[in-house]
Amino acid sequence: MSETPRQSLDVDIVCVGFGPAVGGFLTTLSGELTDEQGMPRLESHAMPGMPLQILCYERADDLGFGVSGVVTRGHALRTSFPDLETADIPLAHAVTQEDILYLQDPVGASRRGLGLRTVDSLLRAIRPVLPYADHALRLPYIPGFLRKEGGLVLSIGQFNQWVASRLMSTGLVQLWPGTPVAGPLIDGNAVVGVRLVDQGTDRHGQPAAGYMPGMDIRGALTVVGDGPVGPVGRQLDAHFGLPPGHHQREWAVGMKMVVDLSPDCELVPGTVLHTLGYPEPEIFGFVYVHADRVASIGIFVPSWLDSPVRCGYRYLQHWMQHPALWRHLQGGTLRSWGARTLQESGMRGEPYLVGDGYARIGEGSGTTNVLTGSGVDEAWATGVQLAEAVVELLQAGAPLSRQNLEKTYVERRRGSWVETEARRAINARNGFQRGFLTGLAGMGVTGLTRGALGLADRSQPVHSRVPTPEEFFRGKLTPADVLRVRQEAATRGEPLHDALMQRAGWPQVQYDGKLLLSQQDAMLLGGKVQAPAGYADHVVFVDPSLCERCDNRLCIEACSGQAILPGDEDSPPRFERDKCVHCGACVWNCTRARSSGEERTNIEFQAGAGGLHSAEN
Amino acid sequence: MEEILYIAHTDTGGNLGRQAREALNAALVLAPEGKGLAVAVFGRGAAAALQTLGGCGAGRYLVAEAAELEDSRYATDVAAIAALVDASGAAIVVGPGTARFRRSFPGAAQRCGGRVDTQVTAMEPAADGLRIQRWYYRQRMVATLARASRPWLVLTASGAFAPWSGTAAAVDARPVAVEAASRTRVLGVETPEADSQTIRPEADVLLVAGAGWTKKQADGQTHAAQAEQLIREFLERAQASLGSSKSLVDLSSEGEEVLSVFSHLNQVGQTGMAPRHSKGLATCCHGEEPHTVGWRFINERRAINLDPNCGWAQGKADVLYVADAFEVLARVNALLTPE
Amino acid sequence: MNQGFHIAVCGSLVPDPLQTLEPIAGPQGPALKNEMMLPAVLDPWASHALYEAAHLARQDGESRIWLVSIGPRARLQQLMMSIAQKAVFELVACDGPAGGFTDAAEVARVLADTVAAIPELDPQRLLLFGGCASASRDAGATLQMTGERLGITEQFLNVDELTVQEGVLRIKERIEGGRYLVSACDGPPAVVGWATGMLPEPPNNPQIGMQNMRSIMPALQRAKSVTLEAPELTFESVTVPQQRRDTRIVKDTPTDEIAAELVQWLREDS
Repeated sequence: MSETPRQSLDVDIVCVGFGPAVGGFLTTLSGELTDEQGMPRLESHAMPGMPLQILCYERADDLGFGVSGVVTRGHALRTSFPDLETADIPLAHAVTQEDILYLQDPVGASRRGLGLRTVDSLLRAIRPVLPYADHALRLPYIPGFLRKEGGLVLSIGQFNQWVASRLMSTGLVQLWPGTPVAGPLIDGNAVVGVRLVDQGTDRHGQPAAGYMPGMDIRGALTVVGDGPVGPVGRQLDAHFGLPPGHHQREWAVGMKMVVDLSPDCELVPGTVLHTLGYPEPEIFGFVYVHADRVASIGIFVPSWLDSPVRCGYRYLQHWMQHPALWRHLQGGTLRSWGARTLQESGMRGEPYLVGDGYARIGEGSGTTNVLTGSGVDEAWATGVQLAEAVVELLQAGAPLSRQNLEKTYVERRRGSWVETEARRAINARNGFQRGFLTGLAGMGVTGLTRGALGLADRSQPVHSRVPTPEEFFRGKLTPADVLRVRQEAATRGEPLHDALMQRAGWPQVQYDGKLLLSQQDAMLLGGKVQAPAGYADHVVFVDPSLCERCDNRLCIEACSGQAILPGDEDSPPRFERDKCVHCGACVWNCTRARSSGEERTNIEFQAGAGGLHSAEN
Repeated sequence: MEEILYIAHTDTGGNLGRQAREALNAALVLAPEGKGLAVAVFGRGAAAALQTLGGCGAGRYLVAEAAELEDSRYATDVAAIAALVDASGAAIVVGPGTARFRRSFPGAAQRCGGRVDTQVTAMEPAADGLRIQRWYYRQRMVATLARASRPWLVLTASGAFAPWSGTAAAVDARPVAVEAASRTRVLGVETPEADSQTIRPEADVLLVAGAGWTKKQADGQTHAAQAEQLIREFLERAQASLGSSKSLVDLSSEGEEVLSVFSHLNQVGQTGMAPRHSKGLATCCHGEEPHTVGWRFINERRAINLDPNCGWAQGKADVLYVADAFEVLARVNALLTPE
Repeated sequence: MNQGFHIAVCGSLVPDPLQTLEPIAGPQGPALKNEMMLPAVLDPWASHALYEAAHLARQDGESRIWLVSIGPRARLQQLMMSIAQKAVFELVACDGPAGGFTDAAEVARVLADTVAAIPELDPQRLLLFGGCASASRDAGATLQMTGERLGITEQFLNVDELTVQEGVLRIKERIEGGRYLVSACDGPPAVVGWATGMLPEPPNNPQIGMQNMRSIMPALQRAKSVTLEAPELTFESVTVPQQRRDTRIVKDTPTDEIAAELVQWLREDS
């Protein structure tokens, strides 16, 4: 068989991942590309005589698929769109009301330490004098750093589509969904572009019918905005390492639903509810109410919830049935469902922001602020900052080198509110590594002192802190119980979490066919997951022998789409791509470190096509 | 009531098939006892075939029998339909939704200056004409609609009406001349080999196979080869047609160790077909709407699934057997074995 | 001398097949709830038509392909991002509704007028391609009426294969019982309504995307606004059937018993 040659395409700027960061970058950049007469201001180096050639590749099958609902203060968005009308963006609404609910455990299965149990008892004792109802305390005060007054409730899917539509109509940039990027092209220490994934391969990446090697897209600047688990960002981290003292040890999986609320629901549009305390104390939740009786609801399951069976879906079902929430949600119908990973290390996880030929923006560059609970605005802002820097350099005819990008983009970022707030937040979550109450106290102190005070970072790599099921359920289940569940689950090819959680006291979920659905039905009805043929599997068990010996397969338990399942006996887990929602949780839920000694786990999350087909998330 | 024309074509053997008889019954809904009804047949042996419908009581009979009308070909078929519509002067034209008519009816409607509706599942006369029912968005939703335009050509959906079971009677048919030239020659029909045939639209039973067939079974192993054999045996012994869920077809296209018996032609559900059979047996299927629309036009439905919450069964099937499909189908096949 | 074909592929957007659809009564008749928010794809059968057209065009250097689409301009713009890397084509866009409740005859009228107005299209070399039906209207009627309006008398529906030998088109159409009707047509003009064809979906090719985008954005800007009104058509109702069956659940029953019951059921006359 003759070898199919790998083709190459020269452009000026290639962007990876179309999210808020690249949206901000391209919106700002495209505004500077033409003069008042519509003539190009900047000429292409890659195609002399043409305007600047700017491409963006997005792995999802369409722009805005499978992202998230948010509440944001919207500072940076409003700066870019001073005349922003929420009515222009489907599902957008101004924030009208905010509350934080502390949820107590109405079923008695939650894992609560002595301290928290004492707090719970106290609250119950004095509840007549508190804003307490339905096993929940409404906090009388929301600290300023958490408030989103004047902000927006958004579906990021719809927002991204709105931004993309504006961008495309300019004709100045090209956005290509359904086109995963395999990784950066690194020449020495310079990034010279990206390589797209091979197409027409079998699941192992071997050439099959219609094989087309992934094209090399070469450009003077590669803008890396591929999010928390993006393959380009991760490969850059692997190549260049993280700056000294930085690490990425805090993650969460955010799992959410978009719900058509029942006609009887009294929640008003723009309402924002934050919850904490249940189903496990470490799990935070949210309800954002859009117009037309639609709400985004969901939870964050963090990497410091040290459970070996932390299944977001199961927890989501228990969370929404909490009486304080169910009174609003009962009678609602699932419209959309999805999950994604959040990189919660913030500035502590910040990689090298620039190098020769590349710059990093958005969540993968450490913009998520865990103190203010904000990420979209920050991501957008860093995109804007980079665009301003690039225009400045291109107009000056200066090369897009590390040094020049440091002086322009990084300096802008360091001098901005994004950096100021990120510095305040850097120690905000340290306490959670030690426990829920310590975490809350630490976060409160850090927030109220604007970052002046905080607990020290005593984190450890996520994979090293996960107990085995036998350890985790000690006191509730005997090792023999756990062994029996393990054996039964292995025979049936199922995860452990349902059986273990049930035995540990969590009630069985009674499906109602509308909101309470099996995980598979949530995927079918809400996620609409697809996996096109002709691509290699994007979840890879790097060293199969490590998996074979692994007795703590959290990758299976935590998989949002049940796409990772027990394999044959003494084999690595099985990956069913057609169920993968590309949340990336497997990467940080793997409990085995790679033998190379880095903090990387034994799962590689590569670029893959397909995933969720919903733009409402 | 307006004048109704029923129109049908013969098959290669000069016969009128089941669908043609279904469409006649549909036309008779509009023209009870044949009052105001004209019946037209064209194709090979049309005049003789027309006599088999003679008991329907129609007021007029038309026939077109030229040699060039024997083959299924757009140009000649459209010319025939248009000539018959013109000769009848009918306002409403009803025909069976065969492949031949699905291709030619719309063009004939255009040529006659009329409108067309296809895949019609119900018709009822109304004071101001006719109401029809047809489905939109791949059988996801059903509409009831009326048109003011005439002639209005209507193609019935296969299986939606009971076939006319009246008797033959000698009738006088008025021959209608059809003039048509075509640059197309029909070369023939390719028929799949009997043992590889898995799509049998006329079958009583549809077997729907889901991705569960390829999953790990009770012994912790997959058994694709056994699954394929069981399915093939069932299709052969029950003379059933085979439908597949999307996920199973997708797996096949991935080159997984799955069932070679499937191709995209078998796919049912929202991305495939919604076939009509009197009985359906879903095995190892999973998923809620919209996946289960492949089930919609199956009259009697049963399902075998280990999961009692199976979306193809709860509220959608008449009976759900919570059991191992491998075991049940093996036993069913044994019982179906010819003595 | 083979001058190549002029292939006009008719096709527009339909809801992504995995979406949950709900009809509503809109001001202009029935519509889908949240229609503008529903992810959309190029009609699956029209996609096959486009891929087959690209395949045919690759066999000689002189064929040209136009994709003729009626849909809301912003939605067409978005749709182009997912298909413009797959095959080389020139877009001819009409800004109008793309929903399934627009009447086939009206769509055919606009399509025929639009195809006839393509300046460089030679009607004698025309192959009018499209899907055998749309996944929205699901009628399988539009293409034939468009062909009629353009005076094309050679038409084929549910086509899975088209080959060309010495200028003659050899065409396989799906017919009843999983069989194929095989015909030969003495060259264009012809109408070909595709089923799934035999070709896999082409890979995304960024160079094709670059090439297409130079003409797509101007075509979208040029898109003429069209109205598709069929006052003669009245929808009385559009509903999603909600019928629930009373499911009898048989469990903890021996396999033999289940099998016997099933066989008895299979043998009963229905």
